[in-house]
Amino acid sequence: MSSRLGRSVHAAVVCGTLALLPVTAGAQTRPPVRRAPEPTVRLRGFGEAGARTFTASQSFEAVLGSRSGVLFGGGAEVLVGRNLFVSFGVSRFQKDGERVVVANGQAFPIGIDTTISVMPIEVSAGWRFTKPRQTVIPYLGGGLGWHRYKETSEFATSDENVQFTKTGFQLLGGAEWRASRWLGVAGEAAWMSVPNAFEGGASSAAAAFGEDDLGGAVFRVKVVIGR
Amino acid sequence: MRLFARLSGPVAPAVLVVAAVAGWLATTTAQQPERSRGFKQLLSEINAPGIDRGLRDADPPRPAPTSARWKTGASGSAYLRDSLIVRFRPGTLPAAQRALLAQVDATPGPTLTYADFDIVALAGGADPENVAERLSAQPDVEYAQPRYRARPMFVPNDPLYSRQWNFPQIDMERAWDINRGGSTSVTVAIVDTGVAYRSATLRYTGIAWRRDDGVSFPALGPVDIPFAAAPDLGADRFVSPRDFIWDDTLPFDLAGHGTHVAGTIAQLSNNGVGVAGMAFNVKLMPVKVIDTDWDFIFNSPFIGTDDTVARGVRYAVDNGAKVINMSLGRTGAPAPVVRSAIEYAVSHGAFVAAAGGNEALEGNQPEIYGEFATQIDGMVAVAATGPDRRRAVYSTSGSYIELAAPGGDFSRGPATAGILQQTLDLDFVETFAGPVSRYTAPRFDVFAYFYFEGSSMATAHVSGLAALLVSQGLTDPAAIEAILKQSATDLGTPGRDNDYGYGLINARAALRGMGVAR
Repeated sequence: MSSRLGRSVHAAVVCGTLALLPVTAGAQTRPPVRRAPEPTVRLRGFGEAGARTFTASQSFEAVLGSRSGVLFGGGAEVLVGRNLFVSFGVSRFQKDGERVVVANGQAFPIGIDTTISVMPIEVSAGWRFTKPRQTVIPYLGGGLGWHRYKETSEFATSDENVQFTKTGFQLLGGAEWRASRWLGVAGEAAWMSVPNAFEGGASSAAAAFGEDDLGGAVFRVKVVIGR
Repeated sequence: MRLFARLSGPVAPAVLVVAAVAGWLATTTAQQPERSRGFKQLLSEINAPGIDRGLRDADPPRPAPTSARWKTGASGSAYLRDSLIVRFRPGTLPAAQRALLAQVDATPGPTLTYADFDIVALAGGADPENVAERLSAQPDVEYAQPRYRARPMFVPNDPLYSRQWNFPQIDMERAWDINRGGSTSVTVAIVDTGVAYRSATLRYTGIAWRRDDGVSFPALGPVDIPFAAAPDLGADRFVSPRDFIWDDTLPFDLAGHGTHVAGTIAQLSNNGVGVAGMAFNVKLMPVKVIDTDWDFIFNSPFIGTDDTVARGVRYAVDNGAKVINMSLGRTGAPAPVVRSAIEYAVSHGAFVAAAGGNEALEGNQPEIYGEFATQIDGMVAVAATGPDRRRAVYSTSGSYIELAAPGGDFSRGPATAGILQQTLDLDFVETFAGPVSRYTAPRFDVFAYFYFEGSSMATAHVSGLAALLVSQGLTDPAAIEAILKQSATDLGTPGRDNDYGYGLINARAALRGMGVAR
């Protein structure tokens, strides 16, 4: 046992000595540069801005004057290996409007200001379709979301304002462009569904239009910091 | 004596001057062939302020006014016996109209203002219901109907002490947090018995007459009658007054019904006087289409028939009313002339609230005007609730009832279970209710706070709320109807039912409108 160990040590010393000898012959080739292995798990952060539209389009258009609006957010993303990712994101949509009366499918403003905010907390997982030396990386994913909805109005008492959180799910897809080793920019589209979110309000625009889903489509640009 | 005492005061010289200048008013438009024409003479536009006699909570019960002037036909409705209403189809030549009328022994009457129909006189004792049926079958006739009697919906009772429980019942206090009394740019028409809206002294001539119980009353002859604006209504908020019973612009209330209704809609509030109204900033348009006992005794030239009501509705909308309160109606045969007028009003942007009727204990016959509500977007028929939020025992139930509102219900509680408002002091109005020895000329310048009950009172709540909605910019009649229904508190059987319709109106919920989620 001790003699086998002694031979190995001896061989290593020989190899090391050879490696340290000065190069004297021009015909010799340069040894390949070794890249450091990529870590198995990488943590990245991102900020995002974009637009979202609501599945309850008539309701939001009636009250906010538009079925869409801008959102801002941010989050963190974990890449596991080369392809798998898990992201945690929070975004916020907020817009002012006016309360309405809905009659025969038409909305009539009633002169009372209102503000609606929606803050989804999304947990998604997906697959990045990466290849060596690829600078644009498409990805697909899906996950769960917790959507915090808040609706406040002029003159309202606390029990008349609305605040709730509903669970939904989302599917997403996009492509990330690696601008540098530590910076990426991604364009992403997501579709969310939050069913039965408005089912409790008998006298509401959502009820009047028969819409109960708080989900919708999101189009956003992410700036990703991290490898 | 009281009149003279007032005239001998400091205002007397002014009164006499104005009286001399004013002369007497007598218009010469269309008449009813069956009645000799009485007239009223404006003696003075100045009078002392109304006298407020406060809460009248211990008066003895007063019988509901009735009249024997009307005959009841096969339909169960009272109507005039020698004339009817006809609307010919557009393009029918006058000669063809006369020929058609000749077939039923009828002759055309004079042209009416605010009417797209004609009144024709019948000869030979033909029954108007039969004649109307025959005429309606003619291709050139759009509709024909008797001149059915319309009447107010209130059921006066003896008042006792109370408070205005009706407003908390519909969450009115919190509604005022959103909209404190509406806008002065909104006009509500009180299509009713008139309103105590201004001061004046008028000269009438009282005829001899006989009460329903057979008691005869002597002719009063020329009498000078004092009028005053109801102190708690204010005097500077009335626009385009019109009287279709006397065919002039002095729609004085000779019974107290219209004034009471106007009070619920728009009584001055937060002024430290009397009681509150809902939309206390809006303008009021008194439109008199209902004649009452004193109109009869003074021999008014017109009567409150379907055609009179129809003209009043058309007048109201043509003169800018955005809400029309119809605390009146009748049972029996259809009234296409009124329906047409209401459709005209709604199509021109006026919301219409109509009484659902007080017939539950008397066969529960549907209210004819109210029945249009289910077919006209922008009009609602209103049932009455008592203080316990249950349907008032008298309130008619039916498929046409769309909303409920406080109307009072004396049967389920004390006399304070009625709707309290300021109106004419009935002690000075109903001098004919007692023995002949106490029969005197009335006064319409003395006021008190009375409890009334009826779907009339309920209807006024809906009109008041509608006026607030219009003040918030909601001008589409159909949208007003929609939010009133959607925001109503469901009572009775879940969902719409015949007692409460879509439920008890909720003023705050209606004024809040809708968000996305609530």
